[in-house]
Amino acid sequence: MWIERITGDLADKRKWREYKARVKALPPAYREAAAGIERYIMHFGAVDDGPTLVRMFGDLGDLLEGAAADQTPIRDLVGEDPVQFLETFLDTYRGEGRSWIDKQRAKLTASIDSAIAAQESGAGSAGAGR
Amino acid sequence: MPRQITEMLKGTLEGIVLAILATRSAYGYEITSWLRENGFTEIAEGTVYALLVRFEQRGLVEVEKVPSEKGPPRKVFTLNDAGRAYLAEFWANWDFLAERLRQLRTSPAGSTTPAPPTTEGN
Repeated sequence: MWIERITGDLADKRKWREYKARVKALPPAYREAAAGIERYIMHFGAVDDGPTLVRMFGDLGDLLEGAAADQTPIRDLVGEDPVQFLETFLDTYRGEGRSWIDKQRAKLTASIDSAIAAQESGAGSAGAGR
Repeated sequence: MPRQITEMLKGTLEGIVLAILATRSAYGYEITSWLRENGFTEIAEGTVYALLVRFEQRGLVEVEKVPSEKGPPRKVFTLNDAGRAYLAEFWANWDFLAERLRQLRTSPAGSTTPAPPTTEGN
């Protein structure tokens, strides 16, 4: 299972199984929605830190259970554009170096900083004028 | 048009939810209901929930778990000092944006009011 590859911690695995059990207890329609959400997170989540994943799925379990208890229609839960909802949700857990996207973003920032430093140090030289 | 309002809300929903929390403590469902009753019909409950979780992570709210008759305990969110400071910053930025947009609308760029430099030469 993908999540077990990235969460070496046994406690994390236990939490993951807890989440799966929570989802299993949901009414079928909410369970199907959960499966779709999990699939998207697997492909685009880009969160690869165990404790963050545990927290994320814990929060997702709370949201789904609450919605099922209130009988919130799934459309009202995820909105007209489920992608937008899920991206907002995922952004909460990305950042601070917790995902490979952050590492790539940091690399981009460093490359640009380096290019600017080169430009500024060469500003007085003949080659810089255009 | 629906697309446009969705894009605009992306940047402002955070401030809207904080502003609601500034008036009273609430849980996600209450906030979503208020929004829907006040014309924000497109707002997904899950999106509001995601923002609330984010506030919690950033330490902008205090969270109290209140037992519920049905389903899991509800998280009730209360704005704290850090949250109020963040909301004040949001309003300052909002005022800046609203004022500049108002200027653009009432006196088009190029007239006597200072216009963004990029519009020169059009």
